[in-house]
Amino acid sequence: MSEPTPTAATPGRDSPAAGTPEPGAPAPSTPAPSTPAPSTPAPSTPALSTPWPARGTARPLRAVLRLAVLAVSVMVSVAVPFYLEGFWLQTGLFAMSAAIGAIGINLLTGATGQLSLGHAFFLAVGAYSYVFLSTDLGLPTPLAAVAAVIVAGVSGGLFSPIAGRLRGAYLGIATLALIFVGQHILFNAEPVTGGFNGRPVPPMELFGLVFADTPELVVLNVPFGSLERLWFLGIALLAGAAVFARGVLRGRPGLAMNTIRDHEIAAGVMGVPVARYRAGVFVLSSMYGGLAGVLVALVFQQVVPDYFGMLLSLDYLAMIVIGGLGSVAGAVAGAAFVSLLPQLLTRYSDALPLVAEPGSGGVSPAEAARILYGAAVVAVVLFLPGGLAGLATRLGRVRLKELRWAKSAPAPASRR
Amino acid sequence: MDGMTHRRGEPRAHPTRRRRIPLRNQPVGTAAGDGPAELVVSEVTVRFAGLTALDAVSFTVAPGSVHALIGPNGAGKSTCFNVLSGVYRATSGGVRFGGAELTSLRPHQVAALGVARTFQNIALSPHLTVRDNLMLGRHRLTRAGFVSAGLRLPTARREAVRHGARVAEIAEFAGVGDALSIPVGLLPYGVQKRVELARALCMEPRLLLLDEPVAGMNGGERREMAGLIESVRESLGISILLVEHDMGVVMRIADAVTVLDFGRRIADGPPEEVQRDPEVIRAYLGDYGRPSGGRGQA
Repeated sequence: MSEPTPTAATPGRDSPAAGTPEPGAPAPSTPAPSTPAPSTPAPSTPALSTPWPARGTARPLRAVLRLAVLAVSVMVSVAVPFYLEGFWLQTGLFAMSAAIGAIGINLLTGATGQLSLGHAFFLAVGAYSYVFLSTDLGLPTPLAAVAAVIVAGVSGGLFSPIAGRLRGAYLGIATLALIFVGQHILFNAEPVTGGFNGRPVPPMELFGLVFADTPELVVLNVPFGSLERLWFLGIALLAGAAVFARGVLRGRPGLAMNTIRDHEIAAGVMGVPVARYRAGVFVLSSMYGGLAGVLVALVFQQVVPDYFGMLLSLDYLAMIVIGGLGSVAGAVAGAAFVSLLPQLLTRYSDALPLVAEPGSGGVSPAEAARILYGAAVVAVVLFLPGGLAGLATRLGRVRLKELRWAKSAPAPASRR
Repeated sequence: MDGMTHRRGEPRAHPTRRRRIPLRNQPVGTAAGDGPAELVVSEVTVRFAGLTALDAVSFTVAPGSVHALIGPNGAGKSTCFNVLSGVYRATSGGVRFGGAELTSLRPHQVAALGVARTFQNIALSPHLTVRDNLMLGRHRLTRAGFVSAGLRLPTARREAVRHGARVAEIAEFAGVGDALSIPVGLLPYGVQKRVELARALCMEPRLLLLDEPVAGMNGGERREMAGLIESVRESLGISILLVEHDMGVVMRIADAVTVLDFGRRIADGPPEEVQRDPEVIRAYLGDYGRPSGGRGQA
């Protein structure tokens, strides 16, 4: 293979990059590396000749940090069921389920720029499919769960001719229809859905372990009921969902999705089949919704149609806006925030001003939570572009930068 | 040379369409196996409702040449580019590129034939790093889909590493090698323009469409960009069609020039000739004190 590569062909070109001789050369007007936020205006700098020295020192540090964070979170998540009571476990499980769903909608809305108001529909499809497939068709429960996720994906696929063609907010309006169709079916197709009262959810049974209270199980003197057992299932599912989504976002599909969001025409011209990608992301997102539905059904132990309404969809949008659009960490943070808040308010309603006991006529904890996270959405949009995840990375970056400078500042004067 | 451009793995994405395109088993950075092809634009007409943006425009870009498309504002240059890259549909007429008819294809199918373009207004993703923006240019050469990227299968990883190396090479070539890990939005305008050109090069194109590559640049940046475009032609031997207002750059690097005015072609030929064409001078400078050539121009 003899053709010249471009690099070889232009050694002596008078480009600024070629003009900078060695990377260690002092660059007086160089700004501090890693400018805080992507949104800050570009400083008028010869950015190309910037040596970017701190990169190398950051990497091992960051890896160690990441490992430490991982170890701590694994330890905490294993220890939690041994110390916390059922209420907190249930709240945590709801948050996990919400996080899975939020990751899904963040792939669609945050990363690809396609609004969806129909996410609750796919949660419903997942939850009810699990019940139907395991109870009525008698599938083994793990198989029913997998099948329920696939059914959610298929129903997303049925909608994908529309999802592939409509852009952004237009898709949001179209998906609104899914909510109403879904609600109608859930209330009226009684043989399958159980109508207004819904249906009981059979407990998951995995490798002989039943995720229910009945066969008693005591681990280290702690009685392991359904919530304790589900906790580990939830952790595993959430971890898997997060890792998969991260891979998608960082890989080839993620770049295509982001470009569709930023410049649809450019994406097409660069070879991305835009409609197919939009449809594909929609299907993936609905599968995440289905998985979240299965988990929430297992925690609830009863599926009821009311839960899967418009408000749930809006909750999911609030989650990704508060947490941070387009990232997995953002989805998880937002899901934790939005699903923990009402529970916390309920729990401590007697101690909080302006929040009344449910049913006593005042502002109920659920309403108060909605008001609060409505305010949180506004606050995030105004003050925190990037949401909670953006805030975290910004803080982390500042810390790391300080550490880096302390260790091996090449030229402290250039720190400005 | 390794098999950097071998298509492997991932039968999932773009199943049928790809097969028409010759496999690219040559070293990366060279044009496709069958070399740069001729681009023949014939009688292309584009109408938006009552407005005729392009009126039976014809020209030919010779393989391996730099062809400039010039004309006053509103002459239809960008419309022409949008037709060539599949963004607009031509009302009538045809565009042939190496045996394929482009006018019936969608943008990603045009891209699959090896036609890359840049935009007049930068169309990069500002929050992504330069590396990620360039990796998007490898989209048509890579295969990883949702499943293999999500599961981080070895095929997807190897592919990312291989193409990442090539991307770094191209970035170096375009003079943005030091900026790979910087979000594009933080870079100055002139550098962003280069990144866009580098992204187009990352598609390993056979035909490069550049929409005003030096617009809004200062003198030094213009010279560098013109030098870069020349070295692209020299080292890759691909055809380049560019829209440009800067006559200095056009006269320096173009082998042939097509002049549009009000959607019609008014001149076509080597730069020196076109420069002297009375019709072209009239279009640019107006026709004061001279009987007009029957053109109803205000």
